[in-house]
Amino acid sequence: MEIKSSENESFRLVYEEVFPVVMRVAYHVTYNMDVSEDICQEAFIRFYEKNIDFRSVDEAKYWLIRVTKNLAINVMKRKSREQAMVDKIKKAPKVPVRNGEDALIDSETRTLVREAVEKLPEKLKSVLVLKEYADLNYKQISGILHISESNVKVRVHRARKIMESMLDREEMHVS
Amino acid sequence: MCLDDQILNTYLDGELTEPWKTQVEEHLNYCVACKTRFGQLRTLHAVVSGSRLEEQEIAPHKEKVFQFIERNYMEKKNKIGFLHKDFRIKTPMLLSAAAAFVFVLVGALLIGPSTQAEPNGLIPRVVPATEGSVVQVRATEGLAASQVLENYPLEEILKYLDSRGYEVDLRVKGIQPMGEEADEPAVPVVEPVVEPTVTE
Repeated sequence: MEIKSSENESFRLVYEEVFPVVMRVAYHVTYNMDVSEDICQEAFIRFYEKNIDFRSVDEAKYWLIRVTKNLAINVMKRKSREQAMVDKIKKAPKVPVRNGEDALIDSETRTLVREAVEKLPEKLKSVLVLKEYADLNYKQISGILHISESNVKVRVHRARKIMESMLDREEMHVS
Repeated sequence: MCLDDQILNTYLDGELTEPWKTQVEEHLNYCVACKTRFGQLRTLHAVVSGSRLEEQEIAPHKEKVFQFIERNYMEKKNKIGFLHKDFRIKTPMLLSAAAAFVFVLVGALLIGPSTQAEPNGLIPRVVPATEGSVVQVRATEGLAASQVLENYPLEEILKYLDSRGYEVDLRVKGIQPMGEEADEPAVPVVEPVVEPTVTE
């Protein structure tokens, strides 16, 4: 289905499907809900105002993910120059109360994962976030990041290796 | 030879193509070390991916951002000022408008007012005499009326007046009808031409 980003119907269709994905991408790069919301808002405003024709919802989705990822990376670069400010704005999302049976990952493990992802170098972080949180395959990631599929494969492997070394496997609890 | 982590990760992500995929599956069936290692990588993937932001955490932000864009961009787009409106007319619409104009024009010519003026409008105003029942109509009163009346033959004017219930008496100056009294006053005329005298 062809998508015209400035047409309200097309916009709503894409927004419904893509917003959760770009919100996850923004959040797992910045780990700040308010900043992530601003980034997503900016990405969708650009999407609406640019009036771009896409061949499909997926094409629009890849465009939005690329813009969101770049905005999030830029925010982190800017904030890293102001380290004191970073610590000030960072805050954990308000995790809803869930009963123990529903919880796949406990909050302690989530915090460990978050700290590990934050420490990843930018190139590896981008690939890992798109793989683990945007549920994209290697080909889609290569298209968004403009790198080869084999490069994606290598980066996924390296990112997981670092993640593993940073996470204490004894503390990872999967129910 | 055992499998390295990169191959296992690629297999884990469902990205390994044949024939390597089948070879890896066969190897994992009998190699305990690789099977254990694969289990660790799968757990790592489950933990990292499972620590994602969840739908219920996203929902309020999704609603908020949409409302912002709807209010500030989508609704404003619908309220474009008069000067910024797109006045371009598509060709089919232009042709339709031209066809409609021609249709109306032809229709107006066919059913519009006839080129022959309405007799009612041509008959000079009749002023009833204050005394007696004889009124005079002077074709020469008013240039427009005399010009129009010139287009009608006398017979036609008389016929029309007759149909409207007027009794028309025509007299020629200086000639007395036979059998009538000679001292009957003649109708005053301005021009020495035949004029209709209308008697109600």
